[in-house]
Amino acid sequence: MAKTILIVDDSASIRQVVGMTLKNAGYDVIEGVDGKDALRKLDGRKVHLIISDVNMPVMDGITFLKNVKQLPAYKFTPVIMLTTEAGDAKKAEGQAAGAKAWVVKPFQPAQMLTAVSKLILP
Amino acid sequence: MNLDSIIGTFLAESRELLQQMEDALLQIEQSPDDPELINAIFRAAHTIKGSSGLFGYDAIVAFTHVAESVLDRVRAGEVRFDSELIALMLQVGDHLGGLIDWLADGHDLADVSVETRATDAELITCLKRYLEEAPTAATAPQAAESDHTEARTASGETASHHWHLSLRFGADTLRSGMDPTSFLRYMATFGTVAHVEPVLEHLPALDKLDPEACYIGLELAFVSDADQATIDGTFEFVRDESSIEIIPPHSPLTAFASLLQLRQDEGDEQLQRLLRCGSLTEAEWLQLQTPAVVAESDTTSMSTFGSDDAKSDFPTLAAGNTSPASVATTDNAKAAKAGKEAQRGGGDSNLIRVDAAKLDQLINLVGELIIAGANTRMLAQRSGMLEMNESAETLSRLVEEVRDSALTLRMVQIGATFNRFQRVVRDVSKELGKDIVLQVSGGETELDKTVVEKIGDPLTHLVRNAMDHGIEPAEQRLANGKSAQGVVRLNAYHEAGGIVIEVSDDGGGLNPQKIMAKAVQRGLASEGQPLSDKEIFNLIFEPGFSTADQISNLSGRGVGMDVVKRNITALRGTVELDSKLGQGTCVRIRLPLTLAIIDGFLISVGQASYVVPLDMVEECIELPGKGLENQEFLDLRGDVLPFIRLRQLFADDSTPPRRENVVVVRYAGIRAGLVVDQLLGEFQTVIKPLGKVFAQVPALSGFTILGSGAVALILDIPGLLAQVTHNDNRAGLASSQLNQVNHLRSNAQ
Repeated sequence: MAKTILIVDDSASIRQVVGMTLKNAGYDVIEGVDGKDALRKLDGRKVHLIISDVNMPVMDGITFLKNVKQLPAYKFTPVIMLTTEAGDAKKAEGQAAGAKAWVVKPFQPAQMLTAVSKLILP
Repeated sequence: MNLDSIIGTFLAESRELLQQMEDALLQIEQSPDDPELINAIFRAAHTIKGSSGLFGYDAIVAFTHVAESVLDRVRAGEVRFDSELIALMLQVGDHLGGLIDWLADGHDLADVSVETRATDAELITCLKRYLEEAPTAATAPQAAESDHTEARTASGETASHHWHLSLRFGADTLRSGMDPTSFLRYMATFGTVAHVEPVLEHLPALDKLDPEACYIGLELAFVSDADQATIDGTFEFVRDESSIEIIPPHSPLTAFASLLQLRQDEGDEQLQRLLRCGSLTEAEWLQLQTPAVVAESDTTSMSTFGSDDAKSDFPTLAAGNTSPASVATTDNAKAAKAGKEAQRGGGDSNLIRVDAAKLDQLINLVGELIIAGANTRMLAQRSGMLEMNESAETLSRLVEEVRDSALTLRMVQIGATFNRFQRVVRDVSKELGKDIVLQVSGGETELDKTVVEKIGDPLTHLVRNAMDHGIEPAEQRLANGKSAQGVVRLNAYHEAGGIVIEVSDDGGGLNPQKIMAKAVQRGLASEGQPLSDKEIFNLIFEPGFSTADQISNLSGRGVGMDVVKRNITALRGTVELDSKLGQGTCVRIRLPLTLAIIDGFLISVGQASYVVPLDMVEECIELPGKGLENQEFLDLRGDVLPFIRLRQLFADDSTPPRRENVVVVRYAGIRAGLVVDQLLGEFQTVIKPLGKVFAQVPALSGFTILGSGAVALILDIPGLLAQVTHNDNRAGLASSQLNQVNHLRSNAQ
């Protein structure tokens, strides 16, 4: 069965492009528009990887990350955070919260696919 | 799905973000330190940069990056939003909007005009001024990281043809969701793992073992043509807290010497592992033991492979859980912030984007459904079957509900349109050198999307007019006892099935004498013509009228107001103007809520049917039988009610029935009666536009098809009421128009 990836980003175009790339590579993809929405989408279902933007309305990526890490079902789920080179402070905060994988925006779809394959293969 | 299909999303999203950025920039003028606003602006730039990077729009990425960096400094409190920076950021937004439009038109970013390039460069120069004292350290570590081909001293290369990887994973690896085996699987996509040696020395006794911690290490022999960066990249997510050493094929012996040095605590086991992997041969090991080589290895830094942490010991367990208390407090702050943002952002996640054309198609289908439904209902009535009738009634009620929900789909709030004027007012007031503020109210009023789209231009003109001609210069305002700051107001509200939009100012108002004089001069009125102030004001909407003594850049070319009126008339709306000399002017635009389907009231005169928009019908009464033959007014419970005989208006020569009815209609505060033969009741009316030939007929606004297939003409009540008030064309329509109407009617039957 294909592995499931949750993409959390407030930008629809990023969700679509990343989603398309991952789907073409053989992953299943679910999307969330912000942290709160993503938590709702998770809802205990098996997710093999989470990709989340940091800067989002309603609930930002770091808060989302901290929330996810408190849920037993996702304690060991790898998380890739999307950041900009400008976000060093956020990065430190995110790392403390358990996000080790970071991909710097802007990225090419292929870069994202590479990063994902390092953590899970389809 | 391919990339092209997503570009539409990107363009729409970017436009929306730019709009949000602009709104926030305009708000921030009032509260320059509001972190939420700053964040909103930053996020817009950030997201545009991120998504344009995905599509390979590097020019946008490069440009936005500079703007984002400036905004990041603002966020960090190093730079403050002053009016200069706001103006600059507004220009940045405009420039990005231009680039987006350019893409939307199907052009390539490489082909942008010279001016665009110049603007780009100029804005970047201005932006960079805000970055001058910024630390520029960001690029330094990267350079060091890639610099890994340094000392490969020639003193004795190893014979092995494979890469050797020595991996000690950090204790938090599993907790971070990283699985060491996943790296092996990934490496298998570009090479072959020839040999694996597990490292288990760090595994504690069972009673001390933390099941969530990672104690494992691996020594790998890896055969691959990939370059160092690729192999290195496998571990990018764990490198910070793990010890990752990668030794290329045919590396100098010293590299292994350093590795053994590094893994000193593992003693002889590590050497055995190297030998078992075949990365190091016995002979090479012996060679290594000669003092010269060992000495050299002491000085050769292992950090040639990038990681600064490479020298650090195995990470301790404590490193992961840093001060839980501080994390908790920031959590609370975040939650409060998130709540605030949710209020502001208002549940965007529940919205879906729909192609407007699909909605139009739906509305059209609903229109057809209504006509078909009316037919069914009529046939059911004719059949006399009780059950059939009941079922038809239910059906038409449901169709009515479907119609209402379908129409609300196209309803949008006018607020977004209003807010766009903040920018207009800001720019124009700077240009005019007047201090003018825009006050907006009624932004939540909803109306049809097509109407909203088309109302922008007329509104722009009216707002500019109000600023240019309405608001007086500050000195004059002060002299008249007003505050120096002028106010332009935009207001919207619902009234009788329509929406009213007001553009008002607290400026000098219109001078009736001046307008009259101008009108006479332009031949729009004759000297001494008895006109009320209101009538005089409305002369402004006549083609070719301008009161500005000096024609300014903004308005006053004399082509404005008549165009405004024409645009609004095209939307089946009306426009009127009120003004008090010295106190201000108010332009009131009345528009129908929707352009497609209305609740109508069906009436008949002779053989013909007509529809009156139901919202405008106040009541129906019977025409008092006697004594009104040549009258134009009747007594409605003590009030004077002017009336129009439709039979006379449309020159219908059929014999009137014994009892006629009066439909009392009201529009824009004027009441009048329409004398008709029969009242046929409510009727859902799908408005079909009249052809161009009939566009000039003043009393009709369209037609509709009845259940029987017959045509009913929709009466243009505002037009008819204008006739009542002007008291001119009472004798009937001009004969040529009449012929057209009769022709239309006979064609339909």
